[in-house]
Amino acid sequence: MPLLEVEGITKRFGGLVAVNAVSFAVEPGEILGIIGPNGAGKTTLFGLISGFIRPDAGNVRFDGQRINGIAPERLVRRGLARSFQIVQTFADMSALDVVTTAALVKRPLAEAVAHAAEVLRRVGLSGKEHLTPASLSLQDKKLLEVAKCVATDARLILLDEVMAGLTLAETEAPLAVIRELNRQGVTFIMVEHVMPVIMRAATRLVVINFGEKIAEGTPETIVRDQNVIDAYFGEALDA
Amino acid sequence: MNDSLRRTLLSPFFWLAFLAIAALPFVLQSYYLHIVILALIYVALASAWNIVGGIAGQISLAHSLFVGMGAMVASALFLKLGINLWLAALIAAALSALMGAIIAFLDWRFRLGHLSFALVTLAFAEMGEIVVVGWDFLGGASGLFLPRDTGQFLQFQFGGGEGVLWAMLVLAAACILVNVAILGSPLGYYLRSIRDNEQAAQAIGVRLLRNKMLAMMISAVLTSLVGTVYVRYLTFADPYLLVSPVITIEIVLFATVGGLGRAGGPALGALLLVPLGEVLRGKLGGVLPGLHYFIYGLIVILVIRLSPAGLLPLLERAIARLRRKQPSPQIIANPTARP
Repeated sequence: MPLLEVEGITKRFGGLVAVNAVSFAVEPGEILGIIGPNGAGKTTLFGLISGFIRPDAGNVRFDGQRINGIAPERLVRRGLARSFQIVQTFADMSALDVVTTAALVKRPLAEAVAHAAEVLRRVGLSGKEHLTPASLSLQDKKLLEVAKCVATDARLILLDEVMAGLTLAETEAPLAVIRELNRQGVTFIMVEHVMPVIMRAATRLVVINFGEKIAEGTPETIVRDQNVIDAYFGEALDA
Repeated sequence: MNDSLRRTLLSPFFWLAFLAIAALPFVLQSYYLHIVILALIYVALASAWNIVGGIAGQISLAHSLFVGMGAMVASALFLKLGINLWLAALIAAALSALMGAIIAFLDWRFRLGHLSFALVTLAFAEMGEIVVVGWDFLGGASGLFLPRDTGQFLQFQFGGGEGVLWAMLVLAAACILVNVAILGSPLGYYLRSIRDNEQAAQAIGVRLLRNKMLAMMISAVLTSLVGTVYVRYLTFADPYLLVSPVITIEIVLFATVGGLGRAGGPALGALLLVPLGEVLRGKLGGVLPGLHYFIYGLIVILVIRLSPAGLLPLLERAIARLRRKQPSPQIIANPTARP
């Protein structure tokens, strides 16, 4: 059974159809990449899956159960967590406090603090526990976004452009963390702009353009897909 | 009981301050006693407000409603229906909790931003004053008179001056301890995350409605109880004093000057500003009308300019500097992790 099933999901903002009848499924243990040009509807799709945006039509099933319209905080408790493209900072809490709050989803305070410290160590933020998120570098902020999701013990983590703005070298650390967690059984869906990163990380790709799914498959087949090439580079004049 | 609460209860500093204030009736004249009682009332009010306004960052201007509930409704229940004032105080506190829950629900349902929340709660406060002034059961515009305080504890009487001071001291300490307990518990983490970023808090599993409601209800109950003690002290339940939004403005001012979101911040603000205001009024009130307000305002502005985060962080930095004899860059503001 797929861990997540998205079925004909649609969202309109006024006259604009941001996401149009998109369907796909994610099997446990996968790292699914979602790619597409700017404004394709990737972040809206994430909002629809994670409960922040209500779909106008279609269904989302997590673990076989319909989750449309369920508040994000309740989805987190069920094991579905997301990060944000624009790093969400907490002005007056340390990195450790923020991750501890996330860890409280599944355990009492004393254990949550210990777990949070462990998660921060795992993503490579040891020694930065007492800094505020705002004072972290962009790379560390992104790692903190990952740490927050991980600390909730989520089985499915949605990462919205965690690599954006990082140099290729800087993507190594988060990528290693994601792969390690994936080996331990966490399923990922990643929205990403940085193609070399997503090509290496994802086991499968879904491509969307103008709110519609235009291709799906392994990274190797996707780079050769004519629809995808057209979407990214424009159609040839004689096509 | 969580660690922070245990540490505070075992702290000699806490008990020293408690005993020092408790001993004041033996050394002070009644005028100064009055200032201490007033200061304690505002210590309690500002600390209770801090749960919502400081820790959870929801600038509630509705707290005059809860003071009014504890003062006017409890007095009315006692005078008009003959309900024992202890019980009346508890009923008023329960009604305050209910009203707090409704306000928190509205905030959640309509996703009010910080500014809208402040304005909506202010509107509630204004309506509350109009209702009280227009309703005879609650004393109307002329208010209610409680019988003289003859020290019958079972009748919610504390025997005037020193008795009220001790009762208020216990209540004020309780309000501070509730702050300590919340900051050291999961609720504290949830509220702080809500203050900093509601959407991001949701994304890490923080239940907005439950936690906002809980904060508002705890704060409302404490505020209402202070209201009842306040009216017992005044004997005269004056709606223009006790249900006036002005009381909230004072609370917010003291809490902000002392240090929002910290367990001891609002208490510090009230302990300094209430006596300052009273002394200025006493010494300068007759010299030039309004002069005491002017100086008071000037001092408040100076404090906020000097340390926008409040006096408590300023004080802590100063103490840390004295200890290490060198400036210490304090990078984070984490109430639970400080020594």
